[in-house]
Amino acid sequence: MSGGIARGRLAEERKAWRKNHPHGFVARPETLPDGTVNLMVWNCTIPGKQGTDWEGGHFPLTLLFSEDYPSKPPKCKFPQGFFHPNVYPSGTVCLSILNEDSGWRPAITVKQILIGIQDLLDQPNPADPAQTDGYHLFIQDPPEYKKRVRQQAKQYPPLL
Amino acid sequence: MDEAEDDLEPLFDYSRVQPQGIMCLDDDDELDSSPIPTVADRKRTRTADQTDKKKEDCKVVDVILVNQKKDEDEEDWLPPPPRKIPNSGSGFIEDKTLQELRLQKQELASFAQSAEVVLREVIESAKRNMHHGEKTVVVLDAEQPSKPQVERPKIVISIQDRKGKRQYKIYMDDKFERLFKMYAEKSKLNLESLVFSFDGEKINPQATPKNLGMEDGDMIEVNAKAH
Repeated sequence: MSGGIARGRLAEERKAWRKNHPHGFVARPETLPDGTVNLMVWNCTIPGKQGTDWEGGHFPLTLLFSEDYPSKPPKCKFPQGFFHPNVYPSGTVCLSILNEDSGWRPAITVKQILIGIQDLLDQPNPADPAQTDGYHLFIQDPPEYKKRVRQQAKQYPPLL
Repeated sequence: MDEAEDDLEPLFDYSRVQPQGIMCLDDDDELDSSPIPTVADRKRTRTADQTDKKKEDCKVVDVILVNQKKDEDEEDWLPPPPRKIPNSGSGFIEDKTLQELRLQKQELASFAQSAEVVLREVIESAKRNMHHGEKTVVVLDAEQPSKPQVERPKIVISIQDRKGKRQYKIYMDDKFERLFKMYAEKSKLNLESLVFSFDGEKINPQATPKNLGMEDGDMIEVNAKAH
């Protein structure tokens, strides 16, 4: 089976996650309507860091793994239209460690990916913009940018 | 040292007292008391042996089931021997009593040793658990009586809050309710103000680890209820 390596690694990742993960984070492979688990798609939640404008938000993120994982990184997607300078309008996260040609290494764990994205929320990379809205406000109108971020955090309250 | 004396004395006796040159394989045979009491006596020793073995068996079970009771057990199985000494020794020649005492001593030593091994294993495994988990494992069934019970599978679950995580051992078929209460008491928080979740979903206090398909070592999170 071609996906043997990917699935084996993902099963390990899942096992490790169940036993230990950073507080407030969720990462769980999707369950199909027939009750089977699809290890190739993970539904995650990233909590906004405390003490930042992102605090209080619990942002849904989907990890899409390919059969080439872990040679290739997963695609990480927020909901469409997510407000952040480094998130494409489609919701796809642009981050060096998620780029096969730059920072990705097969040893990077799901935990590290999620923590990396949490860090990115409050520390956007202006050198690598992915959407105009977020990028322009971040550069040109910091107070408005701040307001938008806080608004968005309220849009994603904890699910519990 | 005791053994050496045993061997030397009979040898000395045979050469002088026993003209027939009977092969003596057992020390007991040299005694001139009638053979019937000797057999009876041996039997007694053997039954004593058996009961002791039986006792040892159930002790081992106890030790495994209830770690914290091991200190009592240690004292528990020691008393019997003194009770037996007057029994077996009465009415026989001094040598006989000594031999029996020696036998009993050996028996005692052997199962003291095996008990020690079991205890050490228990302690070691407990230590291993402690090292394995980041903090102490709190055993919820501390009040369980020592009587052997039907095997109920247990599971170690850790509860993580903002400050860290702590491990708890509960039964697979025990309602979470009990664990949550325990956690609230330990951390001096109001149970009503807490939300427990597994995989991002709230845990129903009436559910059990079995219901949720939890595995040994799984972690659940606790959060303050959002206002």
